[in-house]
Amino acid sequence: MQEPLLQLKKLNKYYGSSHILKDITFDINYGEFLTLLGPSGCGKTTLLRCIAGLEAIDSGDILLNGASIKDLAPNKRNINTVFQNYALFPHLNVYDNVAYGPRVKKSMSEKELKTRVADFLELVQMSGYEKRMPHQLSGGQRQRIAIARALINEPDILLLDEPLGALDLKLRKYMQTELAHLQKKAKTTFVYVTHDQEEALNMSDRIVVINKGEIQQLGNPREIYNNPKNLFVADFIGDRNIKKVKVLEKNNNYFRIKLGSSIIDIKCSDYAGGGCNPGETAILAIHMDKMKISCTEIPNSFSGEVMSVHYAGSQIRSEVNVDGEIVTVIEYQNNNSDYNIGDKVYISWEESGAVLLPLEDYVEGSNV
Amino acid sequence: MFNLKKIKQNAPAVPIFVWTGLLVGIPLIYVVVLSFLSRDNLGNVVFEFTLENYKRIFDPVYLKVFYNSFLLAALTGLITLFIGYPVAYFTANLEPKRRSLAMGLIILPFWISSLLRIYGWIILLGNKGLINNLLLKFNIIKEPLIMMYNFGTTLVGTAYMLIPFMIIALFNSVDKLDRSLLEASYDLGASKWKTFFNITLPLTMPGIAGGFILVFIPSLGLFFISDLLGGGKNVFLGNLINAQVTKGRNKPLAAAFSVGMIVLVLIVLYIYNRITKDKKEGLFL
Repeated sequence: MQEPLLQLKKLNKYYGSSHILKDITFDINYGEFLTLLGPSGCGKTTLLRCIAGLEAIDSGDILLNGASIKDLAPNKRNINTVFQNYALFPHLNVYDNVAYGPRVKKSMSEKELKTRVADFLELVQMSGYEKRMPHQLSGGQRQRIAIARALINEPDILLLDEPLGALDLKLRKYMQTELAHLQKKAKTTFVYVTHDQEEALNMSDRIVVINKGEIQQLGNPREIYNNPKNLFVADFIGDRNIKKVKVLEKNNNYFRIKLGSSIIDIKCSDYAGGGCNPGETAILAIHMDKMKISCTEIPNSFSGEVMSVHYAGSQIRSEVNVDGEIVTVIEYQNNNSDYNIGDKVYISWEESGAVLLPLEDYVEGSNV
Repeated sequence: MFNLKKIKQNAPAVPIFVWTGLLVGIPLIYVVVLSFLSRDNLGNVVFEFTLENYKRIFDPVYLKVFYNSFLLAALTGLITLFIGYPVAYFTANLEPKRRSLAMGLIILPFWISSLLRIYGWIILLGNKGLINNLLLKFNIIKEPLIMMYNFGTTLVGTAYMLIPFMIIALFNSVDKLDRSLLEASYDLGASKWKTFFNITLPLTMPGIAGGFILVFIPSLGLFFISDLLGGGKNVFLGNLINAQVTKGRNKPLAAAFSVGMIVLVLIVLYIYNRITKDKKEGLFL
């Protein structure tokens, strides 16, 4: 197997007495789009800045192409960053901004540079904007220039710190697709920081979920979405119903559990049920949008009473009282969705939408 | 017809107009008018139009005074800039608590009379002053160094007096500087020095120009520093105007010199406007 491009080894970082990054260890491969995902304050931006060299690490090592770069200044690392606010130089025009890197490194002649800048402006679809000043550009345009300014240095890795945060929703969706295309076109490894799970799932080859300075799970979007390793990931990714349940029985391929008066079977998946034993309490986490409400009795389902129904465009969001536990179901409108408040209904779900997790990391009311 | 709404809207501006009109506008007009008048043998102002006062500005003796003052003001601007820039830069980069302490220390001398502070320099630099005494005591020198009563002493005193203005102007400019721009510059491969010349310096240029103006203008008019520290050997505009009003009893001439000084200031302000309006580029780019 090819050696990983960047290796993080037991990286630790403190600010005063607070432990920001705890034993961060993982590899980044050539050409992949890797996302660091986590809530604000989880340390993901600090990790990015440690890779860039803008923050020193307290222990551990960072290897780029097998060689340690932890003691190198940011200007000596072949890694470039797209900053959250883009950090375009306000006194330089678009051309001079993009040309900044090669010029300070004196890596090419002005004549060569001219064609290079033109190439990279074309890559980000900003040809013809050379003479504009940063304040004359829109947010999306500034971002493209910031990307061109970084990519022209041909970095081994491009780091992006929540670059879509400042854009409006529509532009953000558009730029997500754009960025993913751009990454494939530029054949550069992207490390992307975001707190937006949808963005992460949409763009990434692999996702590293971080919370409180620790890696919670590393995997591709499908794994992260369907097979959360722990309660934090289950709760952070997607909208799930998270309920305490009683484990009654454990078989080869399913658990029999009890929620209220409903007894149901949950299929074991890679992570579901690891560490859960019969007789104990466990956590059942089911994606709200992978559940279905039926008015007629069906096997292996929760039974409850409809408490509220909200129509939100094509989706219906219903709350069902299952023996005192409120279960939220998000369904697309169909012919069967003719239940009303007070009706007795049965809730079933797709197997891939449900996981069973051990109780250990459950904290009442504060799971995100 | 009276527009009551408009009057109400502009009412808050009235005190400012009255204030500037009374305390700046009228005296200024008075000085300009005075500069075109003559005086009789006793020194009384006579209402008789003349250009004689302005002609006398071009007398080589007086041109030298203008030159002296311009040189002093420009050198004061440069000295305070070179000392003030690092001070402002490091102060702006301190953590908030230490930063307010540092700013407090920079402003503290303002609380003491400027005359007292200038006398302090005499105690320090005089022939029997602290520095000479120490140097003599440790046998580093045999004869006291003559550090008082020359152009250099006046320059030191003026720079000392005005440096807080420079530091405050620069501090605001450095403080406003977006630190992520500096990080972006390192990130793109620039060293600290290149970052300073390409990013920090051009982006703090308004502060540099502003601080220069804040120091340059008052140093044109200060006269007691050159009286106390310069020993009156070099005559500056402030001394000249002061002397013409008090000893020379020639107010019209003093007024003409004042107008000359105002013109000098306006020229500098014009250059300042040009600098801050123009596109600023790094020295290395």
